[in-house]
Amino acid sequence: MLPDDINEIDATVRGVLRDVLGLSEARVDSFRSETPLFGGLAELDSMAVAGMLTELEERLGILIEDDEVDGEMLETFGSLVRFAAAKANR
Amino acid sequence: MIDHYDWAGGREAMLRFGPGTGPVVIAAMPLFEEANRTRTFIVTILRALAGHGIASALPDLPGTGESLIETEYTAVKTWNIAFSSAAERLSADNRPIHVVAVRGGALIDATTPAASRWHFSPVAGDKLVRDMFRARLAAAKESGEAIAADTIDLPGPPIELAGNRLSRALLRELEHSVPSDGKPLRIVRLDTDTLPADRHVAGAPLWRRSEPGNDPELARLLADDIAAWIATCAG
Repeated sequence: MLPDDINEIDATVRGVLRDVLGLSEARVDSFRSETPLFGGLAELDSMAVAGMLTELEERLGILIEDDEVDGEMLETFGSLVRFAAAKANR
Repeated sequence: MIDHYDWAGGREAMLRFGPGTGPVVIAAMPLFEEANRTRTFIVTILRALAGHGIASALPDLPGTGESLIETEYTAVKTWNIAFSSAAERLSADNRPIHVVAVRGGALIDATTPAASRWHFSPVAGDKLVRDMFRARLAAAKESGEAIAADTIDLPGPPIELAGNRLSRALLRELEHSVPSDGKPLRIVRLDTDTLPADRHVAGAPLWRRSEPGNDPELARLLADDIAAWIATCAG
């Protein structure tokens, strides 16, 4: 079954960040909507972004085009969850 | 112990684990950067298999690891041939061969005769290419370099993707490569993976980590699964 509500997507995004970036459970649990990601999270460099997007695609059953990836989408934890939710509900 | 095997194009290194008799697992590593990220993990699985009394071998493929061949001169077909040569050498004493392949390793064992196959998170070649190309695009974006999305379909020199110089022919070949499906085959995936499998297990995709990691607990669990599977196939 694919996650279909925002809480599940929120949890999936946290899980992807934990697994791909090697962050602790406590650290990802502390992420709030306004927590900065790209530029704010040292572990998230451009290579890690690529792995994170692929992992999000696999876990949510979505397809992310490269031209959809921009600074705004990766700015905060909240913006990434909103992007993933919009994709998953399409 | 470090051993070697010969194939039509030269000689490659092969790590050996476990007893000198009985079944032998031949392991196919993930491809490219994913191999570096999972090598310790896979060696941990193979050592745990030795604890079950099962021997194993981890061959370097041409153009990877300690190989003297440049990565840009490799091809999926070459890897198939070399992997089969390694398996042939291991079966010289009439020992049954069992393939264990992780991720893109499942793309290179199609022509290898084996008593059974066991795949962990097998992945199609087009997904690997897409993944590497995405990382390349991200890096290009940062440095302000222009790179066309259809680059690999155009003729030209090898492309540097995720730290490897890869020929366009190899990338096109990969795009049409799918995991082998010779029976008997058992597929195990992570529980976060939505694709079908014989078993889903909890764990993190170590092949995505930018720093190589390990998960000894998952390695033990997978070794138990492989040992049980080999026992079933021998029965």
